[in-house]
Order: sequence, then C-alpha cells, then structure tokens
Amino acid sequence: MSEITGDFSKNKAFLIDMTKCTGCRGCQVACKQWNQLDAEKTTFFTGEGYQNPPLMSEYTFTRIKFRDYEKNGQNEFAFYKEMCMHCNEPACASVCPVGAFVKTKEGPVTYDAKRCIGCRFCMVACPFGVPKYEWSKAFPLVRKCTGCYSRIKEGQKPACATTCPAAITYGNRGDMIKEANRRIETRPEKYLKKLYGAEEAGGTSVIYLTALPFDELGFKHVTKRPLPSYTWQALRLVPGIFLTVGGSLSLLSWFTHRKDRLKKEAEQREESGKTPKEESK
Amino acid sequence: MTAAKIIIKEIKGYHNFVKFLIVLVALGALASLVRFVFGLGVTTNLNDTFPWGLWISFDVVTAVPLAAGAFTLGAIVHCFHIKKLEPLVRPAIVTGFLGYSLVCVGLLLDLGQPQRGWHTMVYWNPHSPMFEVSMCIAAYTTVLFLEFLSPVCEKFGYHVPLRLLRTIEMPLVVAAASISTLHQSSLGTFFLIAVDKLHSLWYNPLLPLLFWISAMCAGISIIIVEATMSHKWMGQPDESELLETLAKILPYVLTLYLTVRLFSLFVLTEGPLFDRPGLVGLFTVEMLVGVVTPLVMLMNDSVREHNRLRSTAAWLVIAGVILNRFNVSMFGMMEKGTMYYPSFIESVVTIGIIAAHVLFFVLIAKYFPIFEHHPETVDYSLPDNFHKTDKVGAPHGKLASEA
Repeated sequence: MSEITGDFSKNKAFLIDMTKCTGCRGCQVACKQWNQLDAEKTTFFTGEGYQNPPLMSEYTFTRIKFRDYEKNGQNEFAFYKEMCMHCNEPACASVCPVGAFVKTKEGPVTYDAKRCIGCRFCMVACPFGVPKYEWSKAFPLVRKCTGCYSRIKEGQKPACATTCPAAITYGNRGDMIKEANRRIETRPEKYLKKLYGAEEAGGTSVIYLTALPFDELGFKHVTKRPLPSYTWQALRLVPGIFLTVGGSLSLLSWFTHRKDRLKKEAEQREESGKTPKEESK
Repeated sequence: MTAAKIIIKEIKGYHNFVKFLIVLVALGALASLVRFVFGLGVTTNLNDTFPWGLWISFDVVTAVPLAAGAFTLGAIVHCFHIKKLEPLVRPAIVTGFLGYSLVCVGLLLDLGQPQRGWHTMVYWNPHSPMFEVSMCIAAYTTVLFLEFLSPVCEKFGYHVPLRLLRTIEMPLVVAAASISTLHQSSLGTFFLIAVDKLHSLWYNPLLPLLFWISAMCAGISIIIVEATMSHKWMGQPDESELLETLAKILPYVLTLYLTVRLFSLFVLTEGPLFDRPGLVGLFTVEMLVGVVTPLVMLMNDSVREHNRLRSTAAWLVIAGVILNRFNVSMFGMMEKGTMYYPSFIESVVTIGIIAAHVLFFVLIAKYFPIFEHHPETVDYSLPDNFHKTDKVGAPHGKLASEA
C-alpha cells in the first residue's frame, strides 16, 4: 500500500487487444517457463470449448479463455486473456493483514511469500478472482501473476508480453490508454467503444480492447470505485470509536462509582455523627 | 497414589455426558492433526472458489459474537452500574475466555502458515480489517485471561495477585468493551470488501454496526441460556430474577438492531434484493425467527418471568445471530449455481471445538469458584484501598503467609 502515488499514468501497463489474439496460448507457455510452474494434467473440453487448462490455479497464472460465437452464419472464436489486473489500488494489498502484497511504483502488484500467513483474505477480496492457493500442500501459500516484476526492474517486458506475436502492447499506462482510444477511433467498426480496465476497480494496469461485449467474453462486472475505499470508510473510524467508547465508559463508570462512594461516605458520616452526640450526652 | 491414577480416578467419576464430550474433543484434535499432515485441500471442501468455509464462518465469525457476553455484561454491571447482575459476570467471563481461546485455535487451524501467526504483530497493515481483528483478539484474549485469573487466584488463595487484579478491574472492563466494539464490528468490515460478491440482502455499508449490535444481542442471550442451563443441569444457584432484568434489556437492543437493519436494507442497499428465492428464504427465517419472534416474545411480562419461555426466546436470538453470520460469510457469498458444504473432517473439528467449549466450562465450574461469587459477600466498589482484598480472602486465609 505504501508506494501508491495517486498518478498511475507512468505505471507500466498491458494493452491487450483481444481482436488481434489468435488463441495460440504462447503467453501461457511463456508464463509457465519464466515462473517455473509445474505442468497440470488436463484434458480438452473440461472447460468451455478449446480452453485449457479449465481454470487458473496455483500452477497457472494466466490463460486464454475461448468463447464460441456465430458471425455471419459461421462459427467464430473470441478470446480473453485472464491474468492479474495489477489494480491501481489493489484490494488484495489493502486486506492483507501482514502487507504481503505491494503495489510497486513500476505498476505490478507483487507478493511476498515470506510474510504471508495463508489467511486467504486476498482471495475473498479480489474482484477478479486472481490469487490462487496451494491446496495441494500441508502449509500452503498464495500464488499469483507478479507482472514479471523481476524482469520489469531490469528494463525488460513481462514474459507473456514478450512472447505474444500480436495482441499485447506493453508500456506506460497513460500511453496505453491513448493508444487504445486511437485504435477505437481509427477502426470504429472493429471495436466495442469501451475499455475494460480503464475504470474497473478504480483503474487497472491491464487494459482490454474487444469486439464483443465484455460480459459475453466472461469479463466480470466490477465496481468503478477502488475497492480499498469500501473497507476504509469503516476502518478509518476505528481510533475514534476506540477513544469514544473507552472515554465515555470510563467517564460513566467514574460518575456511577462516585455516586456510590458519596452515598457510602454519607452513611458513614451519619453513623459516626450519631455516636459523638450520644457520647456528649 | 500417583498423579496419573488420581486423574484417572477423577475422570471416572465424571458424568457420562462429560465423558462423551471428552471423546468428541479427542476426535476433533485427531481430525485437526489430519489437516496438518495431509493439507487443507485434501481434508476440507475449500477451493479457489470458496477460500473460506466452515472454520471461518463458525469458528471465527460466529464464535466471536457468541462470546460477546463478557464485555456486554461487564459494561452493564460495572459502567452502567446495574450491580445486582454481578453474579452473572464471572460465568460470562469464563465463557468469553474459552470462546476467544477456541477462536484462536480455529484460526490457527485455518491459516495456511499457522507458525507465522505472529507476523500480524510485526508487519502492520492498518488498512486491513484482518490486521485489526487479529490485534484486537490477541489483546482481548489477554484481558479475558486476566479477568479469569481472579477465580483462579481465589481458588489457590494468592492474595497479592488478587489485590493487583482488583486494582485493574475497572480499566479491564472498559478495555474489554472498547476492544470488543472494535473487533465485533470489524468482522463485519471483512465483508465490505466483497462488493458484488456478497448478496445485497446482507451487503450494506452499515454491516460493521449491525455486527456490533447483533453481537450484544447474542452476548445477552448466551448469558440467559447459560445461567438457565447451569441451574438446571449443574445444580448451580437459580438466577431467574437477574435473568428477568437481562430479558428486559434485550428487547431494546433487538429493536435497535431491527431498526438499523431495515434502514440499511431499504435505504442504503443498492443491488437487487429479491432475485434469488433460496437467499430470500434464508433472510426471512433469519429476520422472522431470529429477531421478530423473540422481540415480540420478550415484550411480554409473562414470557420474561417464565423460565422456559425466556430461555426459548434467548435461544431464538442466538439461532438468528448464527444464521446471520452464516448468511453473510457463507450462503450470501455463494455465486448462483455454486455450492459449498463442509467436509467430514471440517465438521468433526468444529464439533470438537464446540464440545471443548462446553467441556472446559463444566470443568472450570467444577473446580473454580465462578458461581459462588455474590455481591453480598464481596465489596465491589472501586478498589481504592488495599485492605478490602484481605477481608474477601479470609476464607482462604491459610495460605496468606505463603503469598
């Protein structure tokens, strides 16, 4: 959470033009190779159509979703690359009790496996369902795409963006949004006039261009407001509530106990007041 | 006779129900061992779609409000000064202490890396509700432990610690209430991040406030149920007169809850409310059985004065709060067409934890003076002078020289 600057246009971002995707899944392979992820034993047609593996998992940080549709009476494929969106204000980073997730100033949201306690709050919080758990292990950790942070730091592009023959452009977020809008303007018949990721969850570092409506491709409907603000509006009151409740209860009990004490003292005075009188007589 | 023989002989003398509880606890402990050997994935029905299951929904999100009796009653008795309810405080503290200790156990089982639990104390992230709750639970378990030390010290006649505990009694009560306010409500904040995931019947910005108010309802109800049961089954003193007073307070809190609940539902909620029949059913049961029915019941003198009806109403409130927490953390979070149900191991562990709670309560009540504590014999005004503890400790005076 610490490195958020407020201006995200200089962050590195993916522009993924789904109309140019051929479904070669080179990005999936490159991701597995760079991150040294184990292979999964999968079969075709366990998910929708030709997509394989059926779901993202602890072994699969990105994958191409296939969607069948009909165009001019012919069957066509549409694709959607699923991966971490690297939100400007990530929900995972805000809910993590130990701050294992960090939004780096370069753009990627990284994960520190040495800090993680395995509470899975990030999985509950992520609006895109990205963090996955090592369910196969006795002491599991979370796994997710780190935007190839180690490559970015060395001035390289992420593995998937390097491999992709056509669809992925990588660069400053501001430039990517400009480029996306330019494409929509120059070929309005080809694109849906909307960017996914420009405003979703308060803006992400992955921007999508498509020809088909987003929900038909399996994009999740996500709020435009940054997610951390939903919990922060309650959490920011915590110190105040603590002091108010603590203070008012202390005050209240001081008064009630004072009343008690005064009553007792009055009783004692009455008792001691009587005895001297009796003695004087 | 060796120590082992004494213990075995002691256990043989227990009631069969207590022995049954011991078996359940042992089974639960065994099942949790299985979790550590084979992993979460194999032993639970959790997966990437349902990262949180029964252990979070019951052992943490539900168990915490069920243990709310201690702070609620502490504040009622000591801050609002309704002194006659004092005999109920100690059983409530024992319940709270056991509840929170078992919440910690449940949490450690559910964490992927329980050996790193202390990381929350070191790597602070104040933006995380989980950070806030774990700090609060750690602090409050300590407070409850200190409060629980009083009967322990009395049992063994430790006078010096007793004097110290008396001195910090009021600060502890205030700390308990403020810390509890924070984490009871922050458990609701957990689910504020689940925008578009938690169904609109439960998702609204006032969720933390609702969690706090309903926790107090649950706390008061638990005290009523617990006192009624320990009178009936354990031969402890009959506190029905005090429970009537508590039952008089409860409808006010319930009304407050109902008002805020309806306001947040119809004014502050954004999404569609009645689009999923299953969830609407759960919601209706939660509100009608868990809130409206007990509220109507408790507004009648005849119900409040009648032992069985009063405890029935309290049971309904408890059931309502349990259902509410499950609706928020489990049923309401399920996407249409998906389903989670706990595995065998998960269920055995949770049953073991509930059994452990009852078992330890019975055993503590058996060996420590938690019911024998009456305001007539103890001066409970502010501990402004040290000699008062001596008077109290007089029956245990034998060990005074050692202490």
